[in-house]
Amino acid sequence: MSREMITLENVTRVYNQGRPNEVRPVDEVSLDIGHGEILVLKGPSGSGKTSLLALIGCMIRPTSGRILVAGRDVAKLPERFLTGVRRDTFGFVFQQLHLIPGISVLENVMLPLYPLEIGFTAAKRRALELIEQLGLAHRKGFKVEALSGGERQRVAIARALINAPQAILADEPTAHLDAGLSGELMQIFETLRGQGKTVVIATHDPLVHDSPLIDRVATMRDGRILDGDG
Amino acid sequence: MGSYHLGRHLKILEFALSSMLRRRTKNLGLVLVFAALVFLLSSIVFLTGALRTEALATLEASPQLLVQRAMAGRHALIPLDYGELIARLPGVGSVTPRYWGYYYDIYTGANYTLLGIGDQGLESPGSTPLRLVEGSFIMPGQRRVCLIGEGVARVRGTRIGGMVSLRDARGWMQEYEVIGLFASPSRLLTNDLILLPEADLKAHFGMPDDRATDLMVEVYNPHEVDNISRKILERLPDARPISHAEIQRTYETLFNWRGGLLLAMFLGAMAAFMILAWDKATGLSADERREIGILKAIGWETSDILELKLWEGAALALVAFLAGVTAGYAHVQRFGSELLMPVLEGWSTLFPAIDLAPQLDPYALGVLFSLTVVPYIVATVVPSWKAAITDPDRVMRAS
Ligand SMILES: Nc1ncnc2c1ncn2[C@@H]1O[C@H](COP(=O)(O)OP(=O)(O)O)[C@@H](O)[C@H]1O
Ligand SMILES: [Mg+2]
Repeated sequence: MSREMITLENVTRVYNQGRPNEVRPVDEVSLDIGHGEILVLKGPSGSGKTSLLALIGCMIRPTSGRILVAGRDVAKLPERFLTGVRRDTFGFVFQQLHLIPGISVLENVMLPLYPLEIGFTAAKRRALELIEQLGLAHRKGFKVEALSGGERQRVAIARALINAPQAILADEPTAHLDAGLSGELMQIFETLRGQGKTVVIATHDPLVHDSPLIDRVATMRDGRILDGDG
Repeated sequence: MGSYHLGRHLKILEFALSSMLRRRTKNLGLVLVFAALVFLLSSIVFLTGALRTEALATLEASPQLLVQRAMAGRHALIPLDYGELIARLPGVGSVTPRYWGYYYDIYTGANYTLLGIGDQGLESPGSTPLRLVEGSFIMPGQRRVCLIGEGVARVRGTRIGGMVSLRDARGWMQEYEVIGLFASPSRLLTNDLILLPEADLKAHFGMPDDRATDLMVEVYNPHEVDNISRKILERLPDARPISHAEIQRTYETLFNWRGGLLLAMFLGAMAAFMILAWDKATGLSADERREIGILKAIGWETSDILELKLWEGAALALVAFLAGVTAGYAHVQRFGSELLMPVLEGWSTLFPAIDLAPQLDPYALGVLFSLTVVPYIVATVVPSWKAAITDPDRVMRAS
């Protein structure tokens, strides 16, 4: 088993292959991501950060190349197993957060556990712990639309953590936050790293990629990684 | 392990119910439309079931061959001599005179059927389809007593020990003590029925001693009924033999005609239902689509989403179905199926007073269930399934 948590070998993702509108958001990328590090994927809009994040997190499959999660090639796993690996290994914080309006903070955080074989009480206990950790205890019964931007961001993080994943993948997490809240968010990510979790952040926000808290930056351009990882 | 598995389904069910509450306006609207359609359809099912039961019960109670007498094209009293003549025909068993007539009650505006019970009938009460629910049967020789159907008891506000007064042929009020209440498989048959001792009945209508209302003829071999009818007509030109089969044909004609109308209504309602289901099928809101995408992205499998939508569809459809069927049942039972009456007008020519007993026919209910609940659930699950099989990464890009 590899020392690395996730390894990408010559991963390419092509859309509309062979047609005039063919795009390669990710082109021959090789990357090692270790345990307990904060890695930033930096690059201008359209450079392929979100696509790479989706590949790392088993949301989509590569058109070619290999993706090893804990030493196991996941590229050819059938859908059910891929969902299983994704669920057990990764927690996503989406750019648009994608919380469900009309239901409470608690329910939003518990939602990923609903289809799993875990009792309701245990699921609730785990969700409350995370809500507490992220300083949202006083908001647990609120509907998400009643929360501030920073609070919503933390609900999304709590939901990403509910499956106790080894890695958190966050796409442009500071896009809707001011400088103060962005700083707080970086503190949260640092705490997670302290707990041994891997954090991968896709961003073009200098507040993030110039932060002293991060371990490594990979710069992307036109689907390729320029430097940083070797 | 097992309880964990149950927990999984319970959590999905819980979320399904909370999602329905979240979209309560839309779901309430759907329940109302669905329930209204099930109400209409189940009213029709209950009504046809009830009418068919009535007809069958009436038919069972009717004799192999009934002989009446026609005068100037109308039903007239038949001489008992006719009975003696008929009894001598080969193949004929017994001939039993029946004494009955209609009575219009000016106070309640109701029509009653008065039926006389002779000593012969009294000796074998089991030979009638009537069943006493309370009280006792008329004893041979007993006079000035009566047995009444439950409908009469209700209209008259009488119970056992009470009196029923009827104005006789001379205009005098006669009182009869109620000694029993009866029921039968058919309410149409007994609802308006008052049973009197034969002698009282004859006196009431002022019938001559040598006449009866009609004659019930027992025929040994059912195949010979037509043959015997012909022989009766040869000897007694003013007799009118009516066979069991003829009564049956009359009912069937009526049923085919009525049934056709009901079927047309049924199909109309089904069409409306299909439109609702189709609308639901094509009308997955952007909101619902987005939510399915989110669930997919946070680790729900396609099958989990299907289960969620199945619970939602099933819960809505069951609530609406039960509400619709209950309302349909109450409607047919309590309100004499007023809404459907225009279609059924004319029944009164055959059945004077309709107070129906809706039939909980499991087969008909099953058909209704599979024609409404099943298409509805399919219609809700299919588009959700289509939305759920897309790649989970779509939400990473969706705004
Ligand atoms: N499903 C898709 N179909 C077609 N083109 C896509 C798809 N996903 C991404 N792309 C294209 O790939 C490029 C990279 O997109 P993305 O990964 O979102 O970059 P970033 O997150 O850095 O802005 C863009 O040009 C985008 O339009
Ligand atoms: Mg992006």
